[in-house]
Amino acid sequence: MKPLRIALTKGRLEKDTIGLLESAGYDCTAVREKGRKLILPIGDGDIEVVLAKAADVITYVENGVCDLGVVGKDTIMENGSCFFEILDLGFGKCRFALAGKGGRSAEEFFSGYGEKTIATKYPNVARNFFEGKGMDIRVIKIEGSVELAPLLGLADAIVDIVETGSTLRENGLTIIEDNVAPISARLIANTASLKLRKAEIEALAQKMEEERRKSS
Amino acid sequence: MKNYSKITPEGTKDFLFEECLSTRTVSYILGEVFSQRGFHEVLTPGVEFYDVFSNPAAQIPQENMFKLSDSKGRLMVVRPDSTLPIARMTATRLQNEVLPIRLYYNQRVYRNNRGLTGRSNEVMQTGIELLGISGKRADLEIITTAIEALTRCVPDFRIELGHAGFFKALLNKLPVSDNEREDIHSFIEAKNYSALNSFLDTLEQTKAVAAIRRLPRLFGGEEVLNEASELCDDKDALRPLEYLKEIYDCLTKFGLGERLMIDLGLAQRNDYYSDIVFSGYVEGSGEPVLIGGRYDKLLDIFDSPMPASGFGINVDTLAKVMLSRGQIKMKPLPDVLVHGDDSFEVKSIKHYQALTQSGLICENSVFSTRDEAIAYAKKKGIARIDFVNEEVETVLLN
Repeated sequence: MKPLRIALTKGRLEKDTIGLLESAGYDCTAVREKGRKLILPIGDGDIEVVLAKAADVITYVENGVCDLGVVGKDTIMENGSCFFEILDLGFGKCRFALAGKGGRSAEEFFSGYGEKTIATKYPNVARNFFEGKGMDIRVIKIEGSVELAPLLGLADAIVDIVETGSTLRENGLTIIEDNVAPISARLIANTASLKLRKAEIEALAQKMEEERRKSS
Repeated sequence: MKNYSKITPEGTKDFLFEECLSTRTVSYILGEVFSQRGFHEVLTPGVEFYDVFSNPAAQIPQENMFKLSDSKGRLMVVRPDSTLPIARMTATRLQNEVLPIRLYYNQRVYRNNRGLTGRSNEVMQTGIELLGISGKRADLEIITTAIEALTRCVPDFRIELGHAGFFKALLNKLPVSDNEREDIHSFIEAKNYSALNSFLDTLEQTKAVAAIRRLPRLFGGEEVLNEASELCDDKDALRPLEYLKEIYDCLTKFGLGERLMIDLGLAQRNDYYSDIVFSGYVEGSGEPVLIGGRYDKLLDIFDSPMPASGFGINVDTLAKVMLSRGQIKMKPLPDVLVHGDDSFEVKSIKHYQALTQSGLICENSVFSTRDEAIAYAKKKGIARIDFVNEEVETVLLN
C-alpha cells in the first residue's frame, strides 16, 4: 500500500501540524530533523509528509499527487477550488481586513460614486468582498508590504491579512472593516483520494480533530 | 512579435504513438460496450452557438468556454460539453423517434481552465445518453452500462451513488435566499465543513439544518442511508433515500460489493441533475473518471421536455491509467522489412500485401539499395528482411 501523502505549508503551519500529529501519537522525528529533504516519512511509514509553499499545497492536492494538504484559508480563498476541505485545524488564526489612511469609518468609505483602488496580495479575495457589497473596484496586485500602497498614494485602501494590527498602526493605517473573512489552517483532501482511501483519511482526520479539541 | 509556431497552446498536447494508441483503445473498447447494448453513435459540431450552453442550469462558467464569432458576429463556443448539444439535437432532429433513444458519443470537449495548473483544456470524452424514459429500470441500465464500461478497462474502480433530490429536499426546508442556497450547494460539493457550519450557525437550528450539517460526512457504505433517514422526517427527503436503497441493493446483487459507495453529499457540478447521480473513481487519477446521473429537466431548456439520463467518461485519464499499468502495448515494431531490388518494386509491394494479409506487420523499404535497407532495419530493430528479386530471399538479422 502506498503511504498516504500529506502536503504541509512550510513554516508555522508545518510546525503546528507536526505538533498536532505528534500529540496524536505519530513519530515525527524525520520531520524534526529534516535537513533539506522535502519528502519525509512519519509514523510507521504509512504517512509521508511533503513540504511546500502554500499555493503549491493546493496544486499538489488538486492534481492528486498528494492525498491531503494543510493550508491556510487565505490561500484557499484566493486559489480555490477542486478539492475537499474537510477540517478546520483551529491554528494559524488571523483574518482578512480592509484598512486605509485617515481614520475613515466604513460608512464613509463605502459611500460615494468615486472608484476605489484597492491594493492587495489577494486580488480574488478583494474582488469577491467588494462584489458582495455590490461595488466595482480597481484592484492592484502588490507582492510585498501592501501597507505602502495607500501611504504612497497608489491605493485608497488595502485588503490584507491582519493578526494584531500593529503593522497597520505603526504606519498610520486604520481598519475600515475588521472581519472581511476569518482565516485558519484547513485540512484539504483530493477528491478521488477521499473516495479511494476513505478509511485511512477519515481515521487521520478524526485523530487530528480529537487532538485539536483537546488543545483548544 | 513573438512567434508561437513551435509550441502547442496551454492545456493541449500532441499524442504520440502509445499515448495515441491508448486513447484510441479506450474509445474502441467503450464504443463496443455501448453499441453491444444498442446505443448508436452520434457526432455533434465542434463549434456551437453560445446560447446552447449559456443556460444557468448548465453551470459552465463563461470564462471556461473558448469563444469565437461567426460571419454575422454571433457568439459561438468550441464545444465545452456533449450532453447539451445532444439534448439540442434530440429536441430538434429526433422529435419523431421511437422512445427511448439510446445514443453514445466519443468526441473532444474544450474548457479554458485556469492556466499553469497542469490541467488539459482538451479532453476526449465518451458517454451515453438514454432519452425519453425514467424509472428504476432506466437508471439501472445506465449504471450497469457504466460499470461494464469501467470493468473492461480498469476493473478496480469504485462507483459512488448519490441523489440530487435528497439534498434539494433538505435545502427547500431552509429559510434561505437563492444565492445562499447556491452557496450551500458549493460548500457541500467542496465538502467544506467549516464554511458550511459557520453559515448554518446563523440559521434557526431545525432538523433540516442538522441534517445539512451532517451531509458532507454522509458517505460510505449502506449504513449512510440509515443514518440519513434518522436525520430527517421529511417525505420529500425520505423518498430519494428509499430509492437509493433499492438501487444499492440491485447493484450489490449485480456483484459490486465493496466497490459501491454512497455519498449523499455528491453534488455534481451541473445543476441539471435532478435525481440519482453517480461518479466513478480509479486509483491513479486525482479526479473522477466517470460522472453521470439523471437530468429530467435538461430537455426543457430546448422546449422538448422528456426525461433523460447518462454519463460521460474521461477517455484520456482512463487511457493514461491503463498505459501506466502496462495494459496498453507499446508502439509495435514491424515484423518484416520488404525490400524490392531494382525493377522488382511492384513485385515487392505484392509480396508485402500477402505478408500483411497473413497478419504480419510489414514495412515496405523505400531505399534504393539493399545496404541502406539493412542499415535501417538494424537501427530500428526490425529482425527480418525479405529481399524480392526473381525469388524472395529472407534474411534474419542478429
